[in-house]
Amino acid sequence: MRTLPLRFAVFALFLALSCGLAYSAEPYGVDLNGRPVHELAGPDTRFLVLMFAASDCPICNRYVPEIARLDHEYSSRGVRIWWVFPNPEDTASIVARHNQEFAIRERTVLDSQQSLVHLAHITVTPEAAIFRVDGQGMHQIYRGRVDNRYMEIGRERPQPDHRDLELALDAALAEKPIPQPAGPPVGCSVVFLQK
Amino acid sequence: MKVVAIIAILPAIATCVCLLGRPPESAVHTASNQHLFSAVPASSEPATDNVTPTWSRDVAPILYKNCTTCHHPGGGGPFSLLTYADARRWGPQILTVTQSRFMPPWLPEPGYGDFADVRRLDDRDRALLKRWVSDKMPQGEPSAAPPPPHYDQTWLMGKPDLVLKVTRPFTLNAGGTDVFRNFVLPYPLKRTEYVRAMEILPGTPKIVHHANVVIDRTGSLRRQHPGDWESGIAGMELLVDSGNRFDPDSHFLFWKPDSPALVEPVGMPWRLDPGSDLILNMHLKPSGKPETLDAQVGLYFTPDPPVKQPMLLALERDDKLDIPAGDADFVVEDSLTLPVDVEVLGVYPHAHYLGHDMKGWAILPDGQKKWLVWIRDWDIDRQAVYRYKSPILLPKGTVLHMRYSYDNSYANVRNPHSPPVRVRAGNRSEDEMGHLWLQVLPVNVQPNSVDPRLLLEETWMRNRLNKTPTDEISLYNYAAALTGEGKFTEAVSAFERLLALDSADERSRIALGVALDGAGKWHEAIDSFREVLRRNSAACDARFDLADLELRHEQLESAEADFRADIASCPEDADVHSSLGATLQAENQAEAAQAEFRRGLQIAPGNLSALLGLAEMKLDAGESELALQFLKEAAKAHPDSAEAHEQLARVYAQSGDQNSALDELKIAVRLEPNNPQFHSALSQVLGAIGSIVPAIEEQRTALQLYDGDADGWNNLGVLELRTGQTATARADFEHALRLQPDHPQAKANLAHLRREN
Repeated sequence: MRTLPLRFAVFALFLALSCGLAYSAEPYGVDLNGRPVHELAGPDTRFLVLMFAASDCPICNRYVPEIARLDHEYSSRGVRIWWVFPNPEDTASIVARHNQEFAIRERTVLDSQQSLVHLAHITVTPEAAIFRVDGQGMHQIYRGRVDNRYMEIGRERPQPDHRDLELALDAALAEKPIPQPAGPPVGCSVVFLQK
Repeated sequence: MKVVAIIAILPAIATCVCLLGRPPESAVHTASNQHLFSAVPASSEPATDNVTPTWSRDVAPILYKNCTTCHHPGGGGPFSLLTYADARRWGPQILTVTQSRFMPPWLPEPGYGDFADVRRLDDRDRALLKRWVSDKMPQGEPSAAPPPPHYDQTWLMGKPDLVLKVTRPFTLNAGGTDVFRNFVLPYPLKRTEYVRAMEILPGTPKIVHHANVVIDRTGSLRRQHPGDWESGIAGMELLVDSGNRFDPDSHFLFWKPDSPALVEPVGMPWRLDPGSDLILNMHLKPSGKPETLDAQVGLYFTPDPPVKQPMLLALERDDKLDIPAGDADFVVEDSLTLPVDVEVLGVYPHAHYLGHDMKGWAILPDGQKKWLVWIRDWDIDRQAVYRYKSPILLPKGTVLHMRYSYDNSYANVRNPHSPPVRVRAGNRSEDEMGHLWLQVLPVNVQPNSVDPRLLLEETWMRNRLNKTPTDEISLYNYAAALTGEGKFTEAVSAFERLLALDSADERSRIALGVALDGAGKWHEAIDSFREVLRRNSAACDARFDLADLELRHEQLESAEADFRADIASCPEDADVHSSLGATLQAENQAEAAQAEFRRGLQIAPGNLSALLGLAEMKLDAGESELALQFLKEAAKAHPDSAEAHEQLARVYAQSGDQNSALDELKIAVRLEPNNPQFHSALSQVLGAIGSIVPAIEEQRTALQLYDGDADGWNNLGVLELRTGQTATARADFEHALRLQPDHPQAKANLAHLRREN
């Protein structure tokens, strides 16, 4: 059942900047071996990309090659990409098998408590969030679609011609104003935890 | 002797349909689909406006009826919708896609063509799903849910008679644009079969959007791609060569994930011959990981040849497709006047990514308008063949219309080009097409008339030539249709026009020879064949036709020499050996003739000419048992050869087995209802077994078809005498004598009558 806490619902009305700590005493989630993940950014990380996904969502899966490309092109430039699986059905073993099947090599965290979902105000998979990482913590600078391939379910471009996430990353790295996504994310609803 | 004439060589324009795809759902398909569903009880208490809908009572029946054929584990849908947990997981998406009508996939507007197996969700069900999701998707009482349907991962109709597999599994990339690929599946059997049903197991159903099966009767695509056909050939549209006989495409063999078995209506199977290939034309969608496609096609045979011969024809306007960049409403139109009465069985609208609003309709001779189809928002991903609930009767003179609009603006998200560019017709997915394919069945065919499909072909090709006068394929098909209709003089001038465009085209010049021969200008025909041979001395078809012409004009020596020369160029052609055998037989060289017939059979077991030739030789030699064997083999291998059945009947009748003779003649008459000789023979056999009234009937039919047969009039008189119709019988004997004054039997019969009186 959808149970967004009120404060997040208010934030969600406009693209607010949420903040978090680069290192959290409370783990962000667990990795595929069940170990808590306390740290998302590394020492050289300038920007953190959380790529929210669901193993059973076909649109997420079709973005796997694109995320691998972005990771390949941006990882040496201080960008760290995580796949984040927030749905309760996506257990460690299911996601491990999924990552193997789709040859996903990027870091992966299970957002079992959906704290990252709430931190980034995500409602749909696939949806991306970019955080700037500095001494004070993590500051969200982008939330939204990867590109404009999907306009809605059933209206799809043969290939994207506007790569929103990549444009945002380029602007961030160039320290320019961050362009926000030109359209809504299209995909599968996050299965929110019932309270 | 059976003569193989080149009647029509049709580089199948029909098959250039990209998706010359074929039929998903006929009435029969409905039946086959329905057995997928375990009985779905109508909800006893459907949710009213005041009652919250539940999954068990309200939603599950809708999903089981409309969604789970694809959305089940292992099915073509990207996820399953069989359980409550599934429905709940995908509830918000179900809401989105049913409200937008993206799902279930169904493009035609209601009220513009009455189709079978309509997938459109009704408004009540849509409203119910909407309320269920907004009411937080309650499950309700689990025991109230209907039992979930059961889906097998294997052949739906049981083990197929033949399974064809893609020669080399194909790996689809993880990402990128959609892929259109053609896999060649050679038909491995050495005998003709009739296919009553086909199933496709795509291997990985989730990546296969749809598939079309095209019959390549001459293996032409494989020959065009000798090095790479096994890995599949890229491209959306196909052009295959349909060979030397008029054999137009007849069936939509179109497959999509929710139409697992394509069952043809009774009496309308399609044919596969040795040497044919099936081409699996597939639209594949990358899934995010590399996928291996190892598709299988299962075929189910019937021993019965078709009794109804439908045909595919198309309205199209590719010549006008030159769409400026940015044009959001580019319109093309086409029309075609039907030369014969037809029933339209199905329709397959087709465009690529820019197609937008697509209409097809018919204006009947009385001015009445009948809609064939209207698609307001074309989507290539959801294309399909649509079958009519009942056939639409369109009388001769009806004008078929299509009007397609294209959106080449940036606002069309499916536009493959960003920014938009000028787009023309072509084979690649980023090119465009504008086709409206119809499956038509000629009806109200008059006895003695030419094959109505030839008239349709002639009209269709003339229509294409009006649009593109120098289109060589259309001109060839047009000329070939004229030849088939026996309009040889017109055919000659059409072939001459074609040769003016391309004087080096060997096949056209051979076909010109055939048309000249038909027009009675056999000397010119010989010149035409010789001209081909002057340019290419190894032109086997030309030499065959030349030798055959010589044989028919009793120039046995030349015929023998040319058949022998033909064997030197094409030693593996069974027909050449059989025809040489026939020539030698005419030259009274029995032993040599027999050797050639045997050689023909070695190359092609079941070769008709060889079997008939051998049978004739055995009959001449008084070995009727052996003759019977050859003829039985011929009739079995060529169930649609009236000649084989008729000859077999003749031998049966001679040996006194009138009942078998009767069976064979009935087949011959069914195959060639306008052949007076068959009716005469049938009359004789009926007379021999004492069925006098039917015998009289058959003889009258024969004489209606050809009234110049003195024997026939005499025989009719004899039969009538047996029923006491003396006056009529006398008139018939006199009729015979008017035709042939010295007809001995008629004379004797008349004399007998006079004596009696």
